[in-house]
Amino acid sequence: MPSIMVAIGFYATFGENGVLNTVLRGLGLSTVELLGTLTIIVVAHAFYDAPLVARITAAAWEGVDSETTETARSLGASPLRAFRDVVLPQLLPAILTGALLTFIFSFMSFAIVLALGGLSLATVEVWVYDRVSQLDYQTATALAVLEMVLSLALTYAYLRYEARQRAASTANPAERIDLVGSVSKSRLFAWGYAVVAFVVFVGPMASMVIASVTGAEGFTLRNYRFLVERQATAYEFQVKPLTAVVNSLLFGGGTLLVAVPMGVFLAVVSTRNFRGRKLIDTLGMAPFAVSGVVVGLGLLRGFVFGTEAFGYRFTIAGPVAIVAAHAVGAYPFVTRNVAPALAGIDDSLVESARSLGASRARVMLDIELPLVVPAILAGMAFAFAISIGEFDSTVILATGGTSYTMPVAIERFIGRRLGPATAMGVVLLVVTGLSFVVIDRLGEGGFGG
Amino acid sequence: MGSVGKLSLDGVRKSFADTVALDGVSLDIAEGEFFTLVGPSGCGKTTTLRTIAGLESPTDGRVRFDGEDVAGVPTEDRDVGIVFQSYALFPHMTVHENVAYGLNFADPPEGTSVDERVTDLLDLVDLSGMGGREPDRLSGGQQQRVALARALAPEPEILLLDEPMSALDARLRETLRRQIKRIQTELDVTTVYVTHDQEEALAISDRLAVMNDGRVEQVGTPREVYERPATEFVASFVGENNLFRGEVRGTEGTETVVSVDGTEFRVDDGDLAGGDLTFCVRPEDLTVDADTNRFDVAVDTAEFLGETTRYYADWGEQSLVFRSPDPHDTERLTLGFDPDDARVL
Repeated sequence: MPSIMVAIGFYATFGENGVLNTVLRGLGLSTVELLGTLTIIVVAHAFYDAPLVARITAAAWEGVDSETTETARSLGASPLRAFRDVVLPQLLPAILTGALLTFIFSFMSFAIVLALGGLSLATVEVWVYDRVSQLDYQTATALAVLEMVLSLALTYAYLRYEARQRAASTANPAERIDLVGSVSKSRLFAWGYAVVAFVVFVGPMASMVIASVTGAEGFTLRNYRFLVERQATAYEFQVKPLTAVVNSLLFGGGTLLVAVPMGVFLAVVSTRNFRGRKLIDTLGMAPFAVSGVVVGLGLLRGFVFGTEAFGYRFTIAGPVAIVAAHAVGAYPFVTRNVAPALAGIDDSLVESARSLGASRARVMLDIELPLVVPAILAGMAFAFAISIGEFDSTVILATGGTSYTMPVAIERFIGRRLGPATAMGVVLLVVTGLSFVVIDRLGEGGFGG
Repeated sequence: MGSVGKLSLDGVRKSFADTVALDGVSLDIAEGEFFTLVGPSGCGKTTTLRTIAGLESPTDGRVRFDGEDVAGVPTEDRDVGIVFQSYALFPHMTVHENVAYGLNFADPPEGTSVDERVTDLLDLVDLSGMGGREPDRLSGGQQQRVALARALAPEPEILLLDEPMSALDARLRETLRRQIKRIQTELDVTTVYVTHDQEEALAISDRLAVMNDGRVEQVGTPREVYERPATEFVASFVGENNLFRGEVRGTEGTETVVSVDGTEFRVDDGDLAGGDLTFCVRPEDLTVDADTNRFDVAVDTAEFLGETTRYYADWGEQSLVFRSPDPHDTERLTLGFDPDDARVL
């Protein structure tokens, strides 16, 4: 989910006229002012990152050999005791991993802080952005370098930790039979997850949708009418909604064209054994460590403004820079989806094909790539989602230009009134959803399902 | 061996990072032969097969096809067909497409179209009309036969089978091994078969090589290997066996007198030098009604196997195994064996 959507969802939920305060007012209680407070920023990030921690922990939980718990139970431990003594210690590394990632993501968070906190609670990222919009590139660059050093250090720590965990892990990937009790626990777990998912995703999104069609006098389409009118009457410097949609789709398509081949290539390379593979692996992870704002700033300074070399001035257009920035952010997701799928292909399939006369390249084409099509599609969906929701670098690269995207449009609207922003958010939601359906169909049609 | 066989390995060594998988393997396999590599897991039999296929390159030594060194020839140019334990059917292709895949790179036999060739092969492995199926809709035995048909489709010079039946249940294995043998005989294709199952190796092979610890212990026909094991390892790996270690005390006619822990046995197995020696006696040759070489044992466990019963018995410090169709309820028994049935190792 795009971070800007979280921001707007929180606006709609916790804002002055948001769902929460409406309910409180309805109950005759005093309203609360949460926007612009540290609390709401922390809560937003916590909710945003909770599913990630849940996923990592759940994966680790599946790796816990159920027989260890059963042994503990047979030795007399109660279900709770068995969980505490046997399962929890095995989950601890995963929980720590989740914590580290959450920290890194929050550290590099931009859109949520910008939208919910503004400059009064500016993080380094927001500060960089602010300097850029004030055309103070010197300070911005210095801050960006500082931030990059910190985030690289954090990411390095994370990668080291993860590698150590993987090396130390001896867990039998045994099928997870029920650990504690029987139905009750898994049901509890599922319910817990459902509640979290509801609060995190459905809640803010629903609030956003509701807010987009309600006004002081109840149901209204005023916000959408505003978007349509704005499209027709906007001045040169104002944001046109349709242009934002078209731009988003174009950049998304462009990102796919760059990120998918690049990601698949890196996946192929990283699953081969050769010297320098570590370097390739690191290359695949690097974009995780560099924030969007920094990438945007780098591209802006380096290419959009132009670089002097050999007596020529190299410049690239804003849209190309945006696609480049999105592709950089997106290809690791393609690689991360495709590489495990490629590595998971049974060697004997490849060897069989070779013994039947196929060359190495032919095997890749006939056997391996067709088998990882689902992973490539998943990677495409990710890449597209990253591009269409990307805000951090786009907002920098789109400063003053006309290459703004839907998330940027949302942010510009937020600055003035909530209504149009929520309506734009709904448009983003719909366009993203439709795109996923198209990618899905494409996969079925293009590859013979 | 002097003759140039279809396939020969000459002092093949293969070492991985810190282990020696093959420690000088030499084999000579004749045209049309069904040759089996048998041994416990880790003995190097699969590495040998993969070296023949070109999936591993030997650290040292030569692999020759028809007398020609194939070093550096990639798998796809070696003209081999492989069937793996996992069958390795391409999951995104139908049975027909799987079998036809190799015909992308080799022409079907003269006068046959690709489709006809696939149909012929599916008929051969008793899967007529199954061409349109997806591999994962087939049973294990059917998948195994598709893999066999696929490997045979481009008419390989050598067919390599790597434990193709170890994922199947015992009864199906026996049916399939007869089928594989029948097809192999019919096509007269040189075949190297890898298995850890010595019973299967005895049943299916023209000749077999017993491997242990990266070396070939013995090569011979199933009967030779069973009846005249060359080493202690072969004696105890192929079939069950009882080993006796003793010291030669003298000869009486053709028989040698061997003292094992103070008991004297007569062994009739050719001229033997003096000193220490080991001989073995098969469980079926240890009987209660033998006239010679009799000794008392204490029965420990009996396993009823149907047509016979297997007994484990203690003789002094040593544990012995013997078989007998008759029930023996007593704890103490007197066993014996014919001097002719003892094999000196």
